[in-house]
Amino acid sequence: MIESSRELRDVCAIVGAGNSRLGRVPGISGLDLLVEAMRNAIVDAGLKVSDIDGIVCRGPDDSYCHHQRVGERLGINARFSTTLDNGGASQILAAALAVMAIKAGLATTVICGYGRDAWSRTHASEEARVRNETRPSSQRAQEFGPEYGYFGAVAAHAFGATRHMHLYGTTRDQFGEIAVAFRGHALRNPDAQMKKPLTLAQYHEAKQIVSPFGLYDCSLRSDGAGAVIVTRSDRARDLRQPPVSIKGFGSYNNLTGWFAGDNMVTTAAKESGESAYKMAGLGPADVDTAQLYDCFTYMVVAQLEDYGFCKKGEGGPFAASGALRLGGSLPTNTSGGQLSEAHVEGMLQVVEGVRQLRHTYPKERQVKDAEIALVSGHGGNQVCHSTLILGRG
Amino acid sequence: MSATKPLPHPAPESAPYWEAATQRRLELPRCKACGKFWFPPSQSCPHCLATDFEWKPVSGRGKVFSFVIYRRVYHPAFEQEVPYVVALVELDEGPRLLSNIVGVPPAKVACEMPVKVVFDDVAEGVTVPKFRPA
Repeated sequence: MIESSRELRDVCAIVGAGNSRLGRVPGISGLDLLVEAMRNAIVDAGLKVSDIDGIVCRGPDDSYCHHQRVGERLGINARFSTTLDNGGASQILAAALAVMAIKAGLATTVICGYGRDAWSRTHASEEARVRNETRPSSQRAQEFGPEYGYFGAVAAHAFGATRHMHLYGTTRDQFGEIAVAFRGHALRNPDAQMKKPLTLAQYHEAKQIVSPFGLYDCSLRSDGAGAVIVTRSDRARDLRQPPVSIKGFGSYNNLTGWFAGDNMVTTAAKESGESAYKMAGLGPADVDTAQLYDCFTYMVVAQLEDYGFCKKGEGGPFAASGALRLGGSLPTNTSGGQLSEAHVEGMLQVVEGVRQLRHTYPKERQVKDAEIALVSGHGGNQVCHSTLILGRG
Repeated sequence: MSATKPLPHPAPESAPYWEAATQRRLELPRCKACGKFWFPPSQSCPHCLATDFEWKPVSGRGKVFSFVIYRRVYHPAFEQEVPYVVALVELDEGPRLLSNIVGVPPAKVACEMPVKVVFDDVAEGVTVPKFRPA
């Protein structure tokens, strides 16, 4: 296995973080939501727009050179600028690419972010409800799927859940605890899309979508955006916020497919995490809070195992023990995650990891004494994965 | 007017697969260099990258690697079908195929269940391989 470059450890820090309005935000494009989040991140950092000389972002799946639209709206000519295409793994890759560009001397201060209008696209009007698609039609499968009634991301991830339940006896009660725990976190987050409590009984009573997944196993359709600003660590110390150091990152892609080998049970989080831990010089026991890509409850179970927080097969009981709750041994998705805060394809997980390490939250939202946060990104229907390890100052 | 189910739109490299299905044969590309089957069809072997291959019948037998049960209607043509099973079937020859499990109530489907291919004539000249308990 390739050694992650330790030369990149602690070279850069995240000095600004922001989010847009989240949830149901009709009348604004994903692009302008992203610009809203970026403006908030720039203000948060105490920087001027002219300080930003790099943009790494991700656009909608049918966009061309999305970063050009972002720069146009922010009034930036960037020294380093590009758009990424790695699904929900893109958002962490953006921060990783920012570090590499800064280390290479191609830029000094890079803004990264992602925004989407997934609720408005699918629910804001009757026409949108009928269409109910976030992906452009040209990218949908033409054979080996639709003729069997196979549609959507829910099923692709539900296959892994079925297999995990078969191999390890994982239960829907355990999945339910994840949904309930993250809802509890969302109730402490005024920006979160979901405002009402959720009980395990309500989880079980909710309609089934694609079994074994019911409604509350599935993440939200959201409008929203998040952004972070990366700069050199020595520069970060002079800025407004307590700096959050980028200690390690990693990536892995099971391009042979989610259906190949054991990929649906042991995900690319395993190799991605190993790279990130090596770069950071840390292991799972050092992590105080995890912000995991929770597109579906089961993916939290798989990642808890793949990141080494418990053994393979023990993710269900680990989650059900209450470990993931604020106050538990590994507070996870402390803003409510994609199941209850908003689904912005992993971008808000990065933002929350940063905020936890600043220690500026009110007591009921703060992971006590959090020094190290692990953030994950996952995309392309269980194929691509990225990991970010952040450290306090 | 009721909606019609989507029909497969074969890519150039998968046309022989669908052609064989209309004649009630399950055929996959098999590499002449390394002897392995693969799926989905493509113009070179993903195991050894050789381009010399042939279309060969497989046994049509395999087991359910994993499966899901659709309860929500994603496409109006499947309104009468829910709940229906979409499974990943691992053929005895190795490749895994996405398909439906038919001829058994969804609640009876399980991982590792042995299955064998059946052919469903879904439209004039279009036959879709499905699986039922072996």
